Amino acid sequence: MAVRLEVGWRPELTDAEGEGVRRQAREYFGLELHQVRVVRVLMLDLDLPPGELEAVRTEIFTHPTTQISGFRPLAQAFDFDWAVWVGFKPGVRDNAGAVAREAIEAFLGRPLAPAAAVYTSKLFLFGGDHLDGDQMAMVARELLANDMIQQARVYSREQWDHENGIGIILPRVQLAHTPEVAVFDISSLESLRELSRQRHLALRDADLPIIRDYFRRPEVVARRAEVGLGPPTDVELEYLAQARSDHCNHNTFRGLFHYRDITNGEHLVVDNLFKTCIEAPTREIAWKKPWVVSVLWDNAGVGRFDDESSYVIKGETHNSPSNLEAYGGSLTGIVGVYRDPMGTGKGARLIGGIYGFCVGPRDYAGPWRPRLHPRRLLDGVIAGVKDGGNKSGVPTIGGTLYFDEGYLGKCLVFVGAVGLLPKEVGGAPADKKAAYPGDLIIVCGGRVGKDGIHGVTASSEVASPGTPAGHVQIGDPYTQKNMLDFLLEARDQGLINFITDCGGGGLSSAVGESAMMAGGGEIDLSRVPLKYQGLDPWEIWISESQERMVVAVGPENEDLFKNLARKHAVEATVIGAYTDRGVLKVQHQGRTCAYMDFSLLDEEFPPWEFDCEWLAPAGRLSEPVLGDPTDHQELLRTMLARPNICAREWITRQYDHEVQGASILKPLVGREAQVPGDAAVIRPRPESPRGLALSLALNPAYSQIDTYHMAAVTIDEAVRRLLAVGGDLSHIGGVDNFCWPDVAYHPEANPDGKYKAAQLVRACWALRDLCLAYEIPLLSGKDSMYVDGLLPGAFGEIHRVSALPTLFFTAVSVMPELRRAMTMEWKNAGDFIYLVGETRPDLGGSEFYELMGYVGLSVPEARPEDFLPYYRLIEQAGREELLASCHGVYRGGLAVHLALASMAAGLGIEADLSGVAKGSPDYAALYAESAGRFLVSVDPAHRSRFEDLFKKQPLILIGEVRPDNTLKIKRQDRNLVEISLEQLRIAWQRRFGNLI
Amino acid sequence: MTPPKSSTTENRKQKTENTSARPRALVLYGYGLNCDYETAFALNQAGAEAIRVHTTELLDNPAAIWNYHLLAVPGGFSWGDEHGAGVILALRLKLALGTALQEFIDSGRLVIGICNGFQVLVNLGLLPGLAGRPGERLAALIPNDCGNFRDAWVHLAVTPSHCVFTQGLDHLELPIRHGEGKFFAAPEVLAEIKDKGQIALKYATAEGAEAAGHFPANPNGSLLDIAGVTDATGRVLGLMPHPEAHVTSFQHPTWTREKEAWRRRGQPYPGQEGAGLAIFRNAVKYIEGIL
Repeated sequence: MAVRLEVGWRPELTDAEGEGVRRQAREYFGLELHQVRVVRVLMLDLDLPPGELEAVRTEIFTHPTTQISGFRPLAQAFDFDWAVWVGFKPGVRDNAGAVAREAIEAFLGRPLAPAAAVYTSKLFLFGGDHLDGDQMAMVARELLANDMIQQARVYSREQWDHENGIGIILPRVQLAHTPEVAVFDISSLESLRELSRQRHLALRDADLPIIRDYFRRPEVVARRAEVGLGPPTDVELEYLAQARSDHCNHNTFRGLFHYRDITNGEHLVVDNLFKTCIEAPTREIAWKKPWVVSVLWDNAGVGRFDDESSYVIKGETHNSPSNLEAYGGSLTGIVGVYRDPMGTGKGARLIGGIYGFCVGPRDYAGPWRPRLHPRRLLDGVIAGVKDGGNKSGVPTIGGTLYFDEGYLGKCLVFVGAVGLLPKEVGGAPADKKAAYPGDLIIVCGGRVGKDGIHGVTASSEVASPGTPAGHVQIGDPYTQKNMLDFLLEARDQGLINFITDCGGGGLSSAVGESAMMAGGGEIDLSRVPLKYQGLDPWEIWISESQERMVVAVGPENEDLFKNLARKHAVEATVIGAYTDRGVLKVQHQGRTCAYMDFSLLDEEFPPWEFDCEWLAPAGRLSEPVLGDPTDHQELLRTMLARPNICAREWITRQYDHEVQGASILKPLVGREAQVPGDAAVIRPRPESPRGLALSLALNPAYSQIDTYHMAAVTIDEAVRRLLAVGGDLSHIGGVDNFCWPDVAYHPEANPDGKYKAAQLVRACWALRDLCLAYEIPLLSGKDSMYVDGLLPGAFGEIHRVSALPTLFFTAVSVMPELRRAMTMEWKNAGDFIYLVGETRPDLGGSEFYELMGYVGLSVPEARPEDFLPYYRLIEQAGREELLASCHGVYRGGLAVHLALASMAAGLGIEADLSGVAKGSPDYAALYAESAGRFLVSVDPAHRSRFEDLFKKQPLILIGEVRPDNTLKIKRQDRNLVEISLEQLRIAWQRRFGNLI
Repeated sequence: MTPPKSSTTENRKQKTENTSARPRALVLYGYGLNCDYETAFALNQAGAEAIRVHTTELLDNPAAIWNYHLLAVPGGFSWGDEHGAGVILALRLKLALGTALQEFIDSGRLVIGICNGFQVLVNLGLLPGLAGRPGERLAALIPNDCGNFRDAWVHLAVTPSHCVFTQGLDHLELPIRHGEGKFFAAPEVLAEIKDKGQIALKYATAEGAEAAGHFPANPNGSLLDIAGVTDATGRVLGLMPHPEAHVTSFQHPTWTREKEAWRRRGQPYPGQEGAGLAIFRNAVKYIEGIL
């Protein structure tokens, strides 16, 4: 019989979690609570005699000095007015429950019955004046529980059952279902179309005849008849849908774009953005760069780190799931992207993680009603990456956050991972992998459930109230950490021939792709370990249940591999073998349910086609008429407090950025204030003096003017960030992550689709041009389309809200000598401050214009041919150690970045900006966001050498570092700013300063 | 309710047989521990021969522990920190090793638990390890008062004590990275820990003054600003900050400032030993002294 165990902190102890909920309730709803206590609940769905239960309670789950517990309600121990219980819905991953079950087995020294389970949940006890049921229901709904994955119950003190409390609640999965394989009649295109719609296959009309014709081909019919198959099965069609999805196949990027410039009437056809703007330039550059080890085919790109090892890098986005369940979505995202380096070559060890969040304004109070308020959504995605990163033992070395109302429709959650791969494993190159016919197909890690079904196809659709929520999951970093530890040892013992991640598309994708490389494969779905019975074969085939990898192991190594798995408490199951028969054969309970040759996936499916219409910015926008402000002091303070400029230390500190002991330049730098550094530097091999620098940039605001320049400036920023910390210009690898609204024109549903398509083409052109100019191979990348949402407004009307076209650009560089690393804060009073690079009145899309309520026209532009000569000199000056500090000038402009460098140093400055943006207003000198600029400080002893080095370059001496605490800026003999660093710090930190 | 395996003490060795000239250190890993590589690296830098041993291997063969002079339980999230940080790993070790760990200490060997390892040691009752009360769970590391995981560098004042790991140290800077690091014990236990000189490390301000419970100098609300404690023998150290993450000055958050100061003196920056290494050096020196 099931029993309920409750555990809580002793009443006299602070309940830090409860206090956190109390703070959130005040911030979210203005609700004043006296007290919040949290009682952890374990529903023990197992049969144990009372003596053992009592021992389990005291010996495992209760700390004698800090906790109280019991099999009767604990709530009475606390003074409470309302209680809210929150537990998972059936089938949602319950990590604490799984650990509890394992611990009980270990404690008892015997396995529990297979059906025995522990379900964990929480009971929140609230004390406060005049709380009512509606308020509590709101707290339950909008703070404590997400109905996608959780259920909640609200109890008033009067309703509370002192004997039984919440009773026994067992979220068992009960599927009274006998697995079956459905066969579909696809004789007419209409029936196929209807099938696609009903099953959320998201197949395009143009693909349907090809699929139908394949299954009608006489040789296909004959071959299928031999294995007892006729028309296609659901296993096969689901597989096709996965393989054909935009998510897996990148149909948009591989599409045919009819680009028309409305301004000048020019028309051109772009066939395949991926090939022309990503693949071709990368191949051309890789050919020139011997450090490029592996690009464009594996789960992630590989670059040489030193003679013995390489780094592996990958960026991903996890937008749609995070938008529905912020914590689970971002947790699954970060844990998922770690599997990419692990699935690259023969498997890389994880050495770093990065993140980027784009959400609506944290204090949004407008009329639109997103499913999750941006504040809650942001809190959730932050926490997801926190648990995912910290519990995986991977340092989260950098990240970014950007607010804009466009992300109310769908948030962006970018996650990236860096790994380290030995040059060789067992005498063979570690970056190469191949599954051979006869190799066993082994699935490792987590078990399969209904979770994650149709994740891939759902992220290829616009979010609407009808989107199936089945793809929302909760990641399990603990299970994955065990798996990664295990796989690294298996790799080093030479047991892995091939390895790949089981992510989007599940087994269908992982087994399908690897079998295609091997030349064929046969698997038996009934051997796949399941979380619970009752799954149809097609569900097992495409489920995206997390924490799984597929490995090819030679049959002679099966025992070694399995023994090693046991040591690491990892489940590793042989589900089939690779063959050389050219077909993928899938069986279930002795029956063939899919039999497909790979030629179908290579069929000439027609490319997706898009009409693009570009209207040059001058036809849409103009420069505002704006006089110079008189109160520059207050303006600077206001700029520093802007949500996209101000301090976000609260996020950075939640992330362990130092585990593995490799952190050389941390995400926050400086002595007095902790200010974001330009880029992170890590030391992946402690015995080596080499460093790996990693930067991240995004500038979606410029998309309002021209996405070409948005992308160009973003790439330039990522490059400058690397140079500012001492990166090597001859070794820069890039990772492009596009997040774009739907680019398919529809007269009613997407009337500006042609413009968005043109925006995409232009951004890709910039990507191509800048990568060629800076010689950046794209080591990996990802496109996430459909960043749109349908949001109810104040009167129940529905709005389509599209995000700003956004490019996350990650750049990586290898530093031969990490002692040359530089940071952005001034080091010494008396040092000279120089601005390197030209400032033009580039205020279009700037933070300053945004503050003033304008977009403007004069967007910053990247001019690599002008920039590169002095970028090389920055590198040289760094090598000669002429620079006491080095910092790029990015969003916010010069005044903001002078303030940041001063705050970080705790040293004032006296600056004269008369030579900056000559002939333009003061605000242009202070806040223009021209690309290609650095702020450096130089020891007076190096002045002549430094100026000599830069003599033909745009270099302006703008001032001097002062020993005092005052930031003074003047221009044309006018004092614009004279303000204490303390006041600046208060302005910069006040917005989020109370968050921890 | 399996009784502790007796095999653990049967193969007990009073003296570790040394195959190399260096003291042998066992660094536990697996099940979500994650600071094993850098802890082994720090021990090796300090002169030990550190060997990463998977927790399963130790649980299956507890007698293996007698082949080592030092046991290090590193940081991480063993079993995902579910049901309390360090609780499940402590349970597993207790079930498999029984009293062997206490005997390991009593035989003159050393144990260090860092972060998650510290949480394990208090749940095993090895710490505070008051005289006459071995194995009692008298202290706990509970969720930070700030309510969240926190990564930050802290200043630590070393309390003069009999702890072998902190001998000769006065003040050091190390990073903390935890969500459950508030040291808690009943008043009489705290008083005894203090009176018997078992507080090894306390959070302090940058100037070296007492943190006096104030955030962020005391990052988690620890009672008496306790960052690390030793047992009655002085041969066990548990601490929340990470000494293995400060073994070279390049790991310090403001090293580029130091570099610039060296350069201005006309000297290239040498890259110095980090403050945390001394803790491991002390351990190695102690073992070498008794070998």
